[in-house]
Amino acid sequence: MRKFMQVGAVVSLLATAAFGAPAEKYLHVRVTSGSDKEVVSVNVPLSLAEKVIPAINHGKLNQGKVTIDNADMKDVDVRAILEAVKNSPDGDYVTIQGKDQDVRVAKSKGNLIVHVTDKSGGKEKSGQKVDVIIPMSVVNALVPSDKHEIDLVAAIHALSNSGEKLMVTVHDADDDVKVWVDAESGSTEPSAKE
Amino acid sequence: MLLVGKILLGAVGSVVAMGAVISSEGFVNVRVHETKPDGVHVHVIAPVLLMNVGLHFVPRRNLKDAAEQVRPWLPVIDAAVKGLKDSDDLQLVEVSGPDQHVKVATQGGYMVVDVTDPEDEVHVALPLSEIDRAVHEIAAAGPTL
Repeated sequence: MRKFMQVGAVVSLLATAAFGAPAEKYLHVRVTSGSDKEVVSVNVPLSLAEKVIPAINHGKLNQGKVTIDNADMKDVDVRAILEAVKNSPDGDYVTIQGKDQDVRVAKSKGNLIVHVTDKSGGKEKSGQKVDVIIPMSVVNALVPSDKHEIDLVAAIHALSNSGEKLMVTVHDADDDVKVWVDAESGSTEPSAKE
Repeated sequence: MLLVGKILLGAVGSVVAMGAVISSEGFVNVRVHETKPDGVHVHVIAPVLLMNVGLHFVPRRNLKDAAEQVRPWLPVIDAAVKGLKDSDDLQLVEVSGPDQHVKVATQGGYMVVDVTDPEDEVHVALPLSEIDRAVHEIAAAGPTL
C-alpha cells in the first residue's frame, strides 16, 4: 500500500510537471520594408533569451542588466512614477495633440499603452505611427528598485508569464515593424490584441 | 576457408567500427546549386570528425584575428547553442525579398541555413554541438591570455 502511494505521488508529480509547466513563449519581430516589400522575420524562444542575455557582458549590459547613468535619467525617479501608475486606475495619463505629433500614454487592463503619431510630414506624406502595448508586470520588472539599471532578464521572465501580446507596431511610408509574443514558434501574423 | 572468413569478418567489423566512430558526431551537409544552364552543382556530406581534424591543420596565425574577435563572445555562444539544443525545432530567421529567400533554422539538432536567389541555391546543415566546438577551437588558436 505504501509503495502504491509512493508510485502515485511520483506519477502525480510528473503529471504536474508535464501539464502544469507553462508553454514556451516566443518573441517575434517582423519587419516589412521598402517598395519591394522585403520581409524579415525573427523568432526567438523567451527561454533562450533568458539564458543568452545574462551571458552578455558588453558595454552597459552586464548580467542581464543595463546600467543607466545618472545623467541619462536627469534625476527622474522612474520607479516612483511606475509605482504611481501601477496603483492608479485605468485611464489616459498623457494626451498631447501637437502640430507635429500626437502622443497618448494610457493604462488599460493591466497594460501600459503608448501611441505616438508623427505628423511632421504633412497630409501628403504619411508620418510615422508607433503603438506600444506592454503588460505592467513587464514594465515593473524592467525597472527594479535600483533606479540606475534596467533588468532585461526579469522583464523577459515577466513577459513569458504574461499573456500573448502584440507589443510594438511601427508604421511609416516605407517600413512596417511588428513585435509580439505568443506560443507559436512560427511567425504567423499577429492579430490586433488591444 | 575458416581463417579467410575470420579475416574478412575482422576487416568488415573494423570498417563498420571506423564508420561508426567517424559518423558518431554527425555530418556536415553543404549543397550549392547554380541555377544557370552551365552552373556548378556541389553536394558534400562530410563527417564532422573530419572537419575537426581539418581545423587542427589550419595554421594558427590564420585564426589569430578570428580568435581574438570570438573569445569575448564565447559565454554568449555557449549559452545560445545550449539554449538552441534545449529548444524545439525552430525557424530563427527568415528573409523574403522579391528575388532572395534566406532561412536560418534549427532542425533535429542541426543549424540549417538555406539561401535561394536567382543565381544560386545554397543549403548548409551543421550539428549545433559542432558549432560550439569549432568556435572554441578557433578561440583557442589565439595568443594565450
